[in-house]
Amino acid sequence: MGYFGNVFGGFGSLLSGMSVTLRKFSQTVIRRKAVTMQYPKELPELAPAYRSAIKLIRFEESNSHDCVACKACERICPSYCIKLSGGKVEGIKKKRVAEFEMDFALCSLCGLCLDVCPTDTLEYSKVYEEAGYNRDWRVDLLAEFRDYEEEFVAKQRVIEEKAAAEKKAKAEAAKKAKEAKKKAEADEKADNDSKEELS
Amino acid sequence: MSSDSQASEGEVYSLNMGPQHPSMHGVLRLLLDLRGEEVIRAKPVIGYSHRAHEKMAENRNTLQFLPNTSRVDYLSGMIYNLGYCQAIEKLLGIDVPERAIYIRVIVNELNRIASHLLWFGTFLLDLGGITPFLYSFDDREEILDILDQVTGSRLTYCYGRFGGVTWDVDETFLTRATAFLARIRERLHMYKQLVTDNVILRERCTGVGVVSEALAKSYGVTGPSLRASGVAYDVRKAEPYGGYDRFDFEVPVLHEGDTMARFHIRIREIEESCKIIEQAIEAIPEGEILPKKMPKRFKLPEGEYYFAVESARGHFGMYIVGDGSDIPVKLKLRTPSFSNLSAMPETLAGTMLADTIAIVGSIDVVMPEIDR
Amino acid sequence: MPQTLTQLLDGSVLAMPIAAGLIMGMLTVNVLMLVWAERKVSAWIQMRMGPTEVGPFGLLQTLADMLKLISKQLITPSNVDKPLYHLAPLLAFAPVVAAVALFPFSESTILVQNDYGLLFVFAFGGIAVIAIFMAGWGSNNKYALLGAIRSVAQNISYEVPLILSALSVVLVVNAMGPTLSSGDGVVAINGLDLSHIVMTQDQQGIWFVVLQPIAAIIYFISALAETNRAPFDIPEAESELVAGFHTEYSGMRFSLFFFAEYTNMLIVSMLAVVLFFGGWDGPVLPGPAWFFLKSYAVIFVMMWVRWTFPRLRFDQLMTFCWKVLIPLSILNLLATAFVIAVL
Ligand code: SF4
Ligand code: SF4
Repeated sequence: MGYFGNVFGGFGSLLSGMSVTLRKFSQTVIRRKAVTMQYPKELPELAPAYRSAIKLIRFEESNSHDCVACKACERICPSYCIKLSGGKVEGIKKKRVAEFEMDFALCSLCGLCLDVCPTDTLEYSKVYEEAGYNRDWRVDLLAEFRDYEEEFVAKQRVIEEKAAAEKKAKAEAAKKAKEAKKKAEADEKADNDSKEELS
Repeated sequence: MSSDSQASEGEVYSLNMGPQHPSMHGVLRLLLDLRGEEVIRAKPVIGYSHRAHEKMAENRNTLQFLPNTSRVDYLSGMIYNLGYCQAIEKLLGIDVPERAIYIRVIVNELNRIASHLLWFGTFLLDLGGITPFLYSFDDREEILDILDQVTGSRLTYCYGRFGGVTWDVDETFLTRATAFLARIRERLHMYKQLVTDNVILRERCTGVGVVSEALAKSYGVTGPSLRASGVAYDVRKAEPYGGYDRFDFEVPVLHEGDTMARFHIRIREIEESCKIIEQAIEAIPEGEILPKKMPKRFKLPEGEYYFAVESARGHFGMYIVGDGSDIPVKLKLRTPSFSNLSAMPETLAGTMLADTIAIVGSIDVVMPEIDR
Repeated sequence: MPQTLTQLLDGSVLAMPIAAGLIMGMLTVNVLMLVWAERKVSAWIQMRMGPTEVGPFGLLQTLADMLKLISKQLITPSNVDKPLYHLAPLLAFAPVVAAVALFPFSESTILVQNDYGLLFVFAFGGIAVIAIFMAGWGSNNKYALLGAIRSVAQNISYEVPLILSALSVVLVVNAMGPTLSSGDGVVAINGLDLSHIVMTQDQQGIWFVVLQPIAAIIYFISALAETNRAPFDIPEAESELVAGFHTEYSGMRFSLFFFAEYTNMLIVSMLAVVLFFGGWDGPVLPGPAWFFLKSYAVIFVMMWVRWTFPRLRFDQLMTFCWKVLIPLSILNLLATAFVIAVL
C-alpha cells in the first residue's frame, strides 16, 4: 500500500466523517430535530429539586411562614447572605421574624440554611430569570407576608389562647383527677382503716 | 539568559498567549519563546483566578466549606463535593447508608463523563473542529439535565452532606440515566467515525507532546494524562473509597504518552464509567439517604489527615489539619491540573505553535482548579 | 464572439460605472447570502437553528450585521504601519471584484470578455496574498504576522496544484479540436478562455469532472486552501492565532476582508463550475441560473467540509501540498498529455 494506501485511506476516513455531518444535517432539516430551546418563547421545565434563591414557605393552615427568628440559618450561611432580626411579638408567645433580608447575589445555593432551620420554613424558589441592571439582589423575603402578619398574629393568639385554655383545662382536669384519686385513696385508706378496726 | 545563547538560537521572539486567548481554557497564560513557529521555551503563568478557597476553609467550619468544594473545579464539581464529604466522613467515622453510596457513585460517574465530554469538545475546538464540540455539548447537556433533577444545580453542585446526600433519586432519574448510557454508547460510535478515525486528527495527535513515564512521575502527573503514559494509577482502584471496590471496571492504560493516547484514554474512561453506572443502577438498594444519628457539630480530631479521590483530571487530595474544633487549622487541596500543567514546559519545548495548543488541550487543565 | 454586456454598453461613458455597479451589487448580495447560508448550514449540521429572528428565516440577519459593521468607528491601533494597514483591506477587496467580472455567466452574459480569463483569475488571486501579508505586517501584532506568514506560504504553495489541475483541463479543451462553433460562427479554440472551456463541455456533452476526476479533487482541495477555508484555515486559526492576519481590524475594514473572503469562495467555486461542471450548461433553466446553482452547490460542499474537520497543522499542510498534491497533479497532467498525444 504505502504512499497511495495512506492517501486513499485518509481520504476514506474524511468521507466517513462527512457522512456523519451530512446525516445530522438532514436530520435537522427534514426531521426538525434541532436541539435548541427557543428560550423566551418556550420555557424550561424545572426539576422538583431545582435550586434558586431561598424563600419562606407559606404554610396552608397559618397562611404565613413559620420563622421563629432563631438565627440558625444566619449563623450557618457560608456566604453571609441572610440578615434577619425579630423576637417577641405583642400578644403572642411565639417569636416572629421582623426583618428577613436575603442577598441572592451572594447565595451559593448550598442549602445549609434549609437543613438547619428548626421549623423547616425555608425552601428554594423557582425563579430563574435573574438578569438585573445592578448588583443589588437583596430581597425582602417577608414582603409577601407582611399583609398577613396581623391576621397571623390574631389567629396565633386564638390558637395560643385555645392552647393555653386547653392546657389549663387539662391541668385542671389533671389536678381534679389527682385530687379525686387522692380522695379515693384516702377513702380507701379510711375504709381499710375501718376494716382493720373492724377486724 | 545571556546574549550568547540568544544569538545561537537565532531570531527568537516571545509571544504572550493568554490569559485572554480563545484556546487558553479559562485564564491560563503561556509565555512562549518562539523561533518562527517552533516553541523553544514555554512558561505557564497561573494565578488569574485565585479565589483563596484554602484560606476560606480556615475561616469557616467544616460544613460551611461544602459549597466551596464544587467551585474549585467546576467541571467535576460533584466529585470534589462528594470527595470532601467522604474525607470528613472517614475522619469522623460517620457511616454512610447503602443507598447514598450507590447514588454517589452514579452521580460521580455521570459527572466524570460530563467532564470528559466537555474536554472532548474543547480539545477538538482547539484543533479547529467546531461541530464535534457542539455534538459533545449536546450529550453533556443531557447529563447536566439529569443531574439537575436531583441536585438542583447544573455545575456547582452542593449535593453531598456529611453522611449522605441531600435529595433522594427517583425512578425517573434512574431511567433517564439508563437511557443516557444507551445514547452515549451510540454517540461514541459516531464520534469514532467523525473524529477518532479522522486522518487529520490522527496526524495532529500521534507522536505529538510525548510525556514519558519518567517525566510524568517526576512531576506527579495523575489522571488520564498519567495513564496515557503507561502508569496504571487510579485512586478508585489503588485506594478504593466510597464503595468503588464493589464495581467491576478497568483502568485503561496506554503506553505512548502522546496526545493521541490521552485522547483514547478519556474515550475509554467514558466507557468504563458507563459500566460502573450500569452496575450501580442495577444494584441500588432502597433505604435512607442520610444516617439517622449524626453529630451536631463536625469537630475535627487533633492531627493531620490525607484523603484522596479520583477526579476527572486525576488525583484530588485533601490534607486536613485539625485541632479539635470544627474549623480546620489548614485544609490543603492537592489539585491534579496543577501537577499536570507543571510537566508542560518540558513537553512543549521543541514543538510547533499549533501543537502547543493541542498538547495543553489534551492534558485537560481547568484553571480555577489550579489557582484554587 | 458572443455578445457581451460591455459590447452592449460600448461607447457609452456609463459603461464602466454600470458594470462596476452591477458587480458590486451582485457581490454584496452574494456575500450576504453566503454568510447567512454558512450560518444556517453550520447550524443545521450542528443540530441548531441558526439565525431565525431578523427577517424570514433570519435572512436579514447578515444585513443587520453588515450595517453594524459599517456604522462602527474605524479604529487604527497605535504603532501600526499606517499606509500598509489602511491599504491592505482595499487591496484584498479590489482584485476579487475584478476577477468576478471575467466569468461567463452564460453564453451572452459576460461582463468582460478576455481571451486569457483563466490566467487573469489566477493572477488576481495572487494579489490577495500581498494584501494579506500587508495586513499582517502592517498590524504590528505577532498573531497577525504569524497568520500572514502562514498565509503567504500556504497560498503560494497551493497555487501550484491549483494551476496544474486547471492546466490538465486546458489540455483537454485544446485537444478537443482546432475550432469551436460559437454564436458568432466558428472560432479557433482557446483553452485559456473561460467561455471556450464551457462551450467545449457543452458541445462534447460531457463534463470535465468525468474526464478529469483527479484534477477535480485536487482543484477542490487546493481551492479550499487558497480561500483559507477549514481544514486549511491556518492563517486565521482562531484557536491558535486569535484571528490571524485580521486580528487588529474592525468595523468596515474588517468587513472588506470578510467580503473578499466570501467572494473568493464564490470565485473558486465558479471556476470549478467552469472547469469541471459545464458552466451554464443545463436544461430548462436559463444559463446564469444553472451557473449560480452549480456554484452554490460547490460552496455548500466547502461549507460542509469546513464544519466537519479539524484543522491541519502548518507543516502538515505544506507536506500535504508538496508531497501529495503537487506530485499527483503533475502525474495527472503528464498522464493527460500522454493520452492526448496517443489519441
Ligand atoms: S443556600 Fe447557602 S448560601 Fe444560600 S442562603 Fe442558604 S446557607 Fe446561605
Ligand atoms: S433557621 Fe428557620 S426559623 Fe431560624 S431564623 Fe432561619 S428561617 Fe427562621
